[in-house]
Amino acid sequence: MSARTSTEVREGRSAGSAGRPGGGRPQVQQWKDRLEGSGIPWILLAVILVVGLIYFSIGYTGYVSTLDWNGFILSPADHVGASNFTTMFSDRVFWLALQHTAVFYVVTFTIQTAIGFFFAALMHSQLKLGNVYKVIIFVPTVLAPATMAPVFRNIFDTHGQFNWLLEHVGLNFLARPWLAENGTAMPVVMGITIWQWTGLTFILFYAAMSQIETEILEAARVDGAGNLRTLWSIVWPMCAGTTAALAVLGFIGALKTFDVPYLITKGGPNHATEFLGTYIYQTMVQQKHFGYAAAISIALLVLAIGGGVAMSIRNRAAEGK
Amino acid sequence: MFSTRSRMSKIVVQVLATLIVIPYILPLVAMVQGSFAGRGIGNYQKVFGTGVVGTYFRNSIIISVGTIALVYVCTMLAAFGFAKLRIAGKEAWFWVLLAALTMPEAVLLTPLFVTASTFDMYNQLIAVILPLAALQVPFAILLARNFFEGIPTALMEAARVDGANVVKVFWYIVLPLTRPIAAAIVVLTLINSWNAYLLPMLMLNDPSKQVVTLLPSFFTSQYTNDQTGVLAAAVITAVPVIIAYLFLQKSFERGLSAGALK
Repeated sequence: MSARTSTEVREGRSAGSAGRPGGGRPQVQQWKDRLEGSGIPWILLAVILVVGLIYFSIGYTGYVSTLDWNGFILSPADHVGASNFTTMFSDRVFWLALQHTAVFYVVTFTIQTAIGFFFAALMHSQLKLGNVYKVIIFVPTVLAPATMAPVFRNIFDTHGQFNWLLEHVGLNFLARPWLAENGTAMPVVMGITIWQWTGLTFILFYAAMSQIETEILEAARVDGAGNLRTLWSIVWPMCAGTTAALAVLGFIGALKTFDVPYLITKGGPNHATEFLGTYIYQTMVQQKHFGYAAAISIALLVLAIGGGVAMSIRNRAAEGK
Repeated sequence: MFSTRSRMSKIVVQVLATLIVIPYILPLVAMVQGSFAGRGIGNYQKVFGTGVVGTYFRNSIIISVGTIALVYVCTMLAAFGFAKLRIAGKEAWFWVLLAALTMPEAVLLTPLFVTASTFDMYNQLIAVILPLAALQVPFAILLARNFFEGIPTALMEAARVDGANVVKVFWYIVLPLTRPIAAAIVVLTLINSWNAYLLPMLMLNDPSKQVVTLLPSFFTSQYTNDQTGVLAAAVITAVPVIIAYLFLQKSFERGLSAGALK
């Protein structure tokens, strides 16, 4: 029964948003769109949780970023003003980590989007065993990087399965210790990330595509558009909202990157896979420079919020056109 | 999306899809195969022989269930408030929550560590549950608000006219309609809490309080260079979450298409 009612709800909703893919809020709000009564008590719990923990943490981190402190509550902390930030701006590793984040974001986002989008289109093409394919591509997303790290360390080891595979297809000259070389550690980290998150990209595109009406595609076909042409000129633009949302999430995700480089390469070799997250952790936990770690955290936060807001505003503007 | 009327195009679509998924399944094959290398099932016996598997699982289950419950309650209440009730400065509140979406776990480390030590919450599972929930709630509300906006207000107005108060409307009319989005939120929160690594590693030092994601590294520290055992530990950690996903897959997909990101 609940299944039926939820279908009705969805139908009502897509009628309201004039069948736009991705649904979305109705543009014109009707006069009876809100119930009587204040919503404040309803959002209170979420606000307390988020403000209490996250905003408190931001404030606290801001405070610690002005200290020279080893993290022990009893040991003295020197107030050093902005000196942690000046150190940061002249820290080679900090800039290196930023550079890695940028490259990492562009590469992983592009490849994930390409594979996820194309695969979603294939899954909407009445093929056999569709559900098996869907499960296979999504399973990496549900597995913890911590679970998979030992597996990938094995695979990319000098005597690992990847080199074995290369040797068996006659590409021996490519075989190398993938995680130990400066030039190959980063591609491996990116490859693992792509492997892990394509499933989510796929599933969101798949959801967006299921809201495109088949009549539109039929019309394109009648006008003589081929499969690829339809995909590129009709389906892709209609999924723009999803792509934009994924771009923002991917950007924030890239800045947050920690688990994979920490577990697979420890940020090495020689900082070749250093990210802001791994650098903060190392500064804080291994070197006990809590003040400096906090300063980098603040920089990370400014970048995430600044970038996220800028991208959302651009998306809004693009939608308005 | 692709029209597959001819036999040829059917085959092409099938082959393309197969080629794409092969790289996605190979690491899983390598994991399972590696976990049986050498002593076969003996690798698994060795992992269970450490005697910690049960403890780690219990802790992970408590953390996941606790986080899911907290996220569910916060999200459902807040999404209803945002979508259907009057709030002064609504969008400002919404942005306060959304900005938290950009929050990297790394920024939480110092404050949480110090706070937990001060309030004697270090090594307590709640010290992981609260931050995990706080990090998940913003995204969950974003998804759920969209979904709640789609429920016709007229339906609720009708119940109001019949004398039901807002709480009753929420409980009897709105909640039963939100199962698809709830499933999506449960799955996403389950993935994030079961797979959490950094927070448990930092906040839970006591061996009796550790979680499944720490199992492979525990095993590494106990038996250096027993790679097959580590892989068996990885498989043991992975299986429950895969099974949970398979059970929830249908409603998860339905929820995501209904909540659709915008």
